[in-house]
Amino acid sequence: MSRRRDAAPAPRRRLVAAVAASLLAVSVVAATAERATATARAQITVFAAASLADAFPKIDPSPRYSFAGSNGLAAQITLGAPADVFASANMTLPNQLHAKGLCSQPIVFTRNTLVIVVSKANPANVHSVYDLAKSGVKLVVAGPGVPVGSYTLQVLKNMNLTASVTRNIVSQEADVREVLAKVALGEADAGFVYSTDAKTVPGQVAVLKVPAWAQPKVQYGICVVSRSGNRQAARSFVARVLGRAGQTRLLAYGFLPRVKPSPPTSKK
Amino acid sequence: MIVATGDRGTLGRTAVTCVYIGMTIVTLTFLALPIAAIFAHTSPANLFDQLSNPVVRDAFEVSLKTSIVAQLLILLFGTPTAYLLATNRFPGHSLAVTLVELPLVLPPAVAGVGLLVAFGQMGLLGSSLDFFGVSLPFTQGAVTVAVAFVASPLYIRQGIAAFEAADPNLAAASRTLGASALRTFFRIALPVARGGLAAGLALSFARGLGEFGATIMFAGSLQHVTQTLPLAIYAEFDRNFDATLAMSGVLVLISIALLLGLRIGLSWQASASKRSSFLFGPSASS
Repeated sequence: MSRRRDAAPAPRRRLVAAVAASLLAVSVVAATAERATATARAQITVFAAASLADAFPKIDPSPRYSFAGSNGLAAQITLGAPADVFASANMTLPNQLHAKGLCSQPIVFTRNTLVIVVSKANPANVHSVYDLAKSGVKLVVAGPGVPVGSYTLQVLKNMNLTASVTRNIVSQEADVREVLAKVALGEADAGFVYSTDAKTVPGQVAVLKVPAWAQPKVQYGICVVSRSGNRQAARSFVARVLGRAGQTRLLAYGFLPRVKPSPPTSKK
Repeated sequence: MIVATGDRGTLGRTAVTCVYIGMTIVTLTFLALPIAAIFAHTSPANLFDQLSNPVVRDAFEVSLKTSIVAQLLILLFGTPTAYLLATNRFPGHSLAVTLVELPLVLPPAVAGVGLLVAFGQMGLLGSSLDFFGVSLPFTQGAVTVAVAFVASPLYIRQGIAAFEAADPNLAAASRTLGASALRTFFRIALPVARGGLAAGLALSFARGLGEFGATIMFAGSLQHVTQTLPLAIYAEFDRNFDATLAMSGVLVLISIALLLGLRIGLSWQASASKRSSFLFGPSASS
């Protein structure tokens, strides 16, 4: 008899327990999330060009980094992504954000050059920029919206190779490291990357130089995102990158000084 | 006393029902909101405008072409596979079924890596494919392979279920009446399972159309060659948001059409089979 009385409400009791458990779970999750945002307030988030993926954490390991194509990062910032600092592989994107009031006046913090990487096996026999026009060469580049993609198009235009080489493009990748990966894996024959990227996979690719006269002006711009909740820390991160230690680190990774040495400037 | 417990019971039940309704409303809103937002952000005019955008048109063409070829391959190879796995028990049967189901739960990026090291230039079969002058990466063939890899489980699984659900006496009767195994397959097994097979194909088509991770890793992304609708959505995201929205809208509409078609088809088939069992049931039992 008593057993039966117990049996009837049992499912309900189980339901109550289940609801209680899920409420508890929800509150625990909410609490952890709150704590996470609390630490995030102390830790800044840096959106940076994929080519900076090795150098930046060595300059300052404390921020949270998101490395990707600068164009994708700029689009995310426009749509409200919670970034504090934006470091782009060109000046165009941060300038556009600045014009929309989304970030501070960008500053050039480093420069770079373009090279061609060729797969180690080099089945297509690519030994110079001009070999890229040979039929059957599988060339990967970054998409035209990605800074390195537009620099690539400039190089080809400067060398008058646009028509003959663009025919051989087999893929347009989302950032420079994906271009590098496709060549390092041997899937593609050649690709245009920054000289600093080529150095990150020594032994996996061969590097061909792009003549100095055909080089585009590759300037990296950095700015503090206007919506940042911690502009103080964001500004000190920028100062760190521009400071002597930061610049020395960048040079060690093969980046160029942020200001071009004087002789070429005076020639202008 | 009895009345009181009864009251409390009703009250409790009403409360529980309210909780169910509340939870359901939250769930449905959560699922519907992103879809509604896509259409709130874009007008039908923009959708039609963007359909003449060459990037959108090329992506649509690449998606359609590779999906159709992939689904034909899935039909051709998947149907006998599903039939064999449904009608035979052999050592390693469950291993085979697990293999068939694996791509369902595999992250697409893992599928991409797998395809790359299997069929890529440096992959397991890369050099032998090279020998035949075939180089898959960066071609529409690679897109098709990626789509077939991730989408086939949906068809084969549904196919196995459909073949298993068929009355084995039908096939046995056909064989005792002298029909060949092949004739039995085409005249009995296939027609009986066709509803389930069509459902599987619709799901497989929808999944294939949405393929992203494996394609971008294995086939790359190039307009008019390997850039499918999902890849174009990703590529246009920071360049032309209108195009992104339009392509997303198109994919939503296709998915809705496929699912609705599936529902209607299945309910129509269910009512048809009920009618036929009513007609033929008694004579079969007598």
